[in-house]
Amino acid sequence: MKLNTRINGKDYCLEINPNAMLVDVLRQAGLKSVKFGCGEGSCGCCAVMIDGKPRNSCITLAGLAEGAEILTVEGMGNPQEPHALQQAFVDSGSTQCGYCNPGSLIAAKALLDSNPNPSAEDVKDALDGNLCRCTGYVKRIDAVLSAAKAMKKSKKTSRGKK
Amino acid sequence: MLKKLTQFYYPETIEEACKYLGKKGEKTAVVAGGTSEALRQDNSIEALVDISRVKELNYIRKDSSIYRIGATTPIQDIYKCSDLKGPSGEILKYTAGKIGSTLLRNSITAGGNLAAIFPWSDLPPVYLALDAEVVLRKGKPKRTVPVENLINERPNKFLGENEIIAEIAVPVYGKGTGTSFVKFAKTANDYSMITVATRVTLKSGKIEQARIALNAVTISPVRIKDAEKILEGQKPTSDLIAEAAAKTAEKAEIRKDFRASKEYKREVLEVLVRRSLEEALEMAKK
Ligand SMILES: Cc1cc2nc3c(=O)[nH]c(=O)nc-3n(C[C@H](O)[C@H](O)[C@H](O)COP(=O)(O)OP(=O)(O)OC[C@H]3O[C@@H](n4cnc5c(N)ncnc54)[C@H](O)[C@@H]3O)c2cc1C
Repeated sequence: MKLNTRINGKDYCLEINPNAMLVDVLRQAGLKSVKFGCGEGSCGCCAVMIDGKPRNSCITLAGLAEGAEILTVEGMGNPQEPHALQQAFVDSGSTQCGYCNPGSLIAAKALLDSNPNPSAEDVKDALDGNLCRCTGYVKRIDAVLSAAKAMKKSKKTSRGKK
Repeated sequence: MLKKLTQFYYPETIEEACKYLGKKGEKTAVVAGGTSEALRQDNSIEALVDISRVKELNYIRKDSSIYRIGATTPIQDIYKCSDLKGPSGEILKYTAGKIGSTLLRNSITAGGNLAAIFPWSDLPPVYLALDAEVVLRKGKPKRTVPVENLINERPNKFLGENEIIAEIAVPVYGKGTGTSFVKFAKTANDYSMITVATRVTLKSGKIEQARIALNAVTISPVRIKDAEKILEGQKPTSDLIAEAAAKTAEKAEIRKDFRASKEYKREVLEVLVRRSLEEALEMAKK
């Protein structure tokens, strides 16, 4: 069957198996930031934003994304122009093996989109579905908080420009 | 794996959804959040009816004395809803926040959480403790039944072929009522081993209504009415609460699983029910 979605601002019409999971469809479409982890909704490596909400793409039937707007890490930034969160993850040492990063970044972005001034508790709550076996979680919390600060600062300096 | 699945339908209204479900010659099923449907081993389903975009099913409203929760409302919206207050609002929010994770709560819907009942389902026992009702729709026709009936007869048997859960209607309780939810699990995001939801409603210093609902420790959500009877009509005392907790542990049909022995769970269950009732009573007295 056909799946029509918008991924990172670009329209796609993909030929998919009706029982395919979104994680596989996205990876086959070349979006390799989306990682396959546990495959049962427990680890969060596969998180992508669907219409602004971070969800596990490994237990989301691709058909449910018909007409939806999807955001993956490729749509957040790249090595030349990283998103403030990506930069903060690098600077704080939240990137070690890196496997959980795409999912964690998506969950963190969803948090900052709705709450630009989060507390450490808010960060813990928003990332409660993203397991990380390397960093011990503390660095990741620091990273999100410092990204929030950096984003506020750059908003202030760029005010009036937009 | 849904091997026979060939297509999805995307209805925009309840009536349209029910029409697809009633289609002759094609085996259809509802999908909402899809978190359990995705992993379902059913190779007879040919088409899925995605109700997640039916706008008239996605809301949390309060009218007069009832909180109305539309079936496709994500559990995360319940958790974050600032309009849910008081003894029923608070327990709904608290419980919703104990389900899975942010990523899962954005997917899991209130209706899906009630339609696919598992031992680890957290909101269904809360609905039992609150005497909630469920609104079912078959196109235009609707019926409203106690959640308890739906659970006792299993939703997949109770619902007609082209019938869906449209709304969960939860009574608003005021002063004099207390509620409590306890989830006992090995880790913060493991499936629950023992789930307890209680409500105590006081009138003139006596317990007018008591509810003790369990899940996880039992195979499906259930009220322990023999224990509730011990409390109703009586002045609340710690001895009375201890007696009701002991009765709950005695009457509960404890499910076997690998996490702990039945003996262990029975002992912990008694303690958790006692604490839960004490907590509910504390809130009721405020
Ligand atoms: C890793 C993991 C952990 C979880 N942990 C918990 C937990 O701790 N506590 C908890 O309570 N839940 C938990 N869940 C969720 C639970 O297991 C179910 O997956 C979830 O409740 C199903 O909701 P859904 O909206 O995704 O339903 P779907 O998967 O879309 O549907 C489930 C079933 O219900 C039917 N259905 C859906 N909506 C309706 C409707 N409106 N009317 C009639 N039938 C309908 C479907 O046909 C299907 O048979 C967890 C899930 C996962 C994957």
